[in-house]
Amino acid sequence: MLKIRSLDVAYGGLKALSDVSLDVEEGQFVAVVGPNGAGKTTLFKTISGVVQPVSGEITYKGQNLLAVPADERAQLGIAHVPEGRQVFASMTVMENLEMGANTRKGRERWADLLPTILELFPVLSERRSQLAGTLSGGEQQMLAIGRGIASAPDLLMLDEPSMGLAPAIVDAIFERIQFVHRNHGLTILLVEQRVAEALESCDRGYVLETGRVVMEGAHDTLVSDQRVRRAYLGM
Amino acid sequence: MDDLKWMLVDFFQALAAGLLVGGTYGLMCVGLGIIFGVMRVVNFAQGDFMMLGMYAAYYLVTGFGVLTFLGPYAGPIAGAILAGPIVFVIGWLLHRYLLGRVTGARVVSAEAEGHYAQIIMTLGFALVITNGGLILFGSQPISLQTPMSRESWEIGLIFLNQARAIAFVLSVLFAIGLYLFLTQSNLGKTLRAAADNPIAAAYVGINVDRSHRIAFGLGVGITAIAGGLIASTQSFQPYIGFDFVIVMYAGVVLGGMGSILGAFWGGLTIGLVQQMSTLILPYQLQNTAIFVVFLLIIFFRPQGMFGRIWERT
Ligand SMILES: Nc1ncnc2c1ncn2[C@@H]1O[C@H](COP(=O)(O)OP(=O)(O)OP(=O)(O)O)[C@@H](O)[C@H]1O
Ligand SMILES: [Mg+2]
Repeated sequence: MLKIRSLDVAYGGLKALSDVSLDVEEGQFVAVVGPNGAGKTTLFKTISGVVQPVSGEITYKGQNLLAVPADERAQLGIAHVPEGRQVFASMTVMENLEMGANTRKGRERWADLLPTILELFPVLSERRSQLAGTLSGGEQQMLAIGRGIASAPDLLMLDEPSMGLAPAIVDAIFERIQFVHRNHGLTILLVEQRVAEALESCDRGYVLETGRVVMEGAHDTLVSDQRVRRAYLGM
Repeated sequence: MDDLKWMLVDFFQALAAGLLVGGTYGLMCVGLGIIFGVMRVVNFAQGDFMMLGMYAAYYLVTGFGVLTFLGPYAGPIAGAILAGPIVFVIGWLLHRYLLGRVTGARVVSAEAEGHYAQIIMTLGFALVITNGGLILFGSQPISLQTPMSRESWEIGLIFLNQARAIAFVLSVLFAIGLYLFLTQSNLGKTLRAAADNPIAAAYVGINVDRSHRIAFGLGVGITAIAGGLIASTQSFQPYIGFDFVIVMYAGVVLGGMGSILGAFWGGLTIGLVQQMSTLILPYQLQNTAIFVVFLLIIFFRPQGMFGRIWERT
């Protein structure tokens, strides 16, 4: 579904990604893990078109994604749930979800997706007319994910949904993400620093360090790898 | 006893005039406010777009007489309203080919440098439009004299100039319409989303540049309608924009930069201050009164009187 080949991204002269290749197959749950500053967010921004690469290719459903302007990539079925929530703070919870449904498919499926989202995150239902900026961090994260789902995506990209949240809430959110993946067959690309949780749920994983993929493989290969276990899983 | 009575009449006369004038100022401020709210751009040429609205109304009604068939009331009203779409198109094109190069998603990260370019460009618009106006329209003051400019409605001892009263009603209607557009329609909501968080807006498929273009066109178009309405109430020349720029900034800052409702109330307040000040100050000091109030507000309530809808968090 998504194919990235030898992607190089730089900010000014500083390289943030070098020679990154990555594959996401339809229906898969793919996790990208790595420490702060590894380039995970940069990778997502490049997929969304907010950051332009120096070189490399991104193909999505056989189409050259780099030729598509950023605001049209959502129409292709790519939903990016950004790092640090980034909800529309001055708009209500409902308006945020409506903005998610701004894509053609999202509008068509609004009537059946809205109940699904509210069922997934009941707290959003209770707070539907509250301004998003006044929600708690956890609620904002749920709203950001709900907004992503509202676009009726084929690929849901989640950038560190655990950021700044209490462990209990992180567990709840991961559980919801897995639920959506399993029950709705949504393809998921997840970026995380919480390596254990991220690797636990994925079909396939990538380890990114200072802009390079240092390891990749199926779930079982990665979790049994000695280096991963020592460096990231504390075993 | 009679003295007191006439003082009261004067007071209410000034109050009424302030409300009527203020309503149109309010609409003008809403135009500037939507541009600032969505694009975070201070448009120094806003007064000149208002001037274009005045001339558009003038030429439609008297100059070319396209609208004379509508009669002495509907004609000037239609002229003022049509000034909106005409100036919208001008604003849209200026954004498409010039302003859009220094605003929008691409320059969000460039912070300070981006702002300098925007300030210089809108100042450039102001100079070019003013001087273009001098070449095209001449420097002679003109006015859109229609029967409603001269006639008044009397309510007790208070006179309401018809042109101003009609301008007030239309201004309120347009301001309400714009508010409903921004809060209820899907397009309006995408404009607010683009204003709130341009990057997240791109992630949900909103074209931020297009949102800015619409906001800029709408903003100058709305102010042009206010100008078209004012054209029936006073004489004007191509420099007039400058006088109103002060009114608009004062109103928008008073209302809290970025709030549409606030901008309207801010403009209304400025109109009231301006007219009420004539009770105690010489006529020539009207705009000085505006400045004094403006400075007091900045000093005591820099966030404006009505908060901000786009930045409530
Ligand atoms: N807009 C920018 N301008 C310049 N450098 C940037 C910019 N954004 C990111 N970088 C740099 O690129 C590198 C990768 O940053 P990125 O945000 O992609 O990391 P990350 O893996 O998401 O980290 P974290 O886990 O902390 O979110 C960092 O060194 C960062 O300083
Ligand atoms: Mg990151």
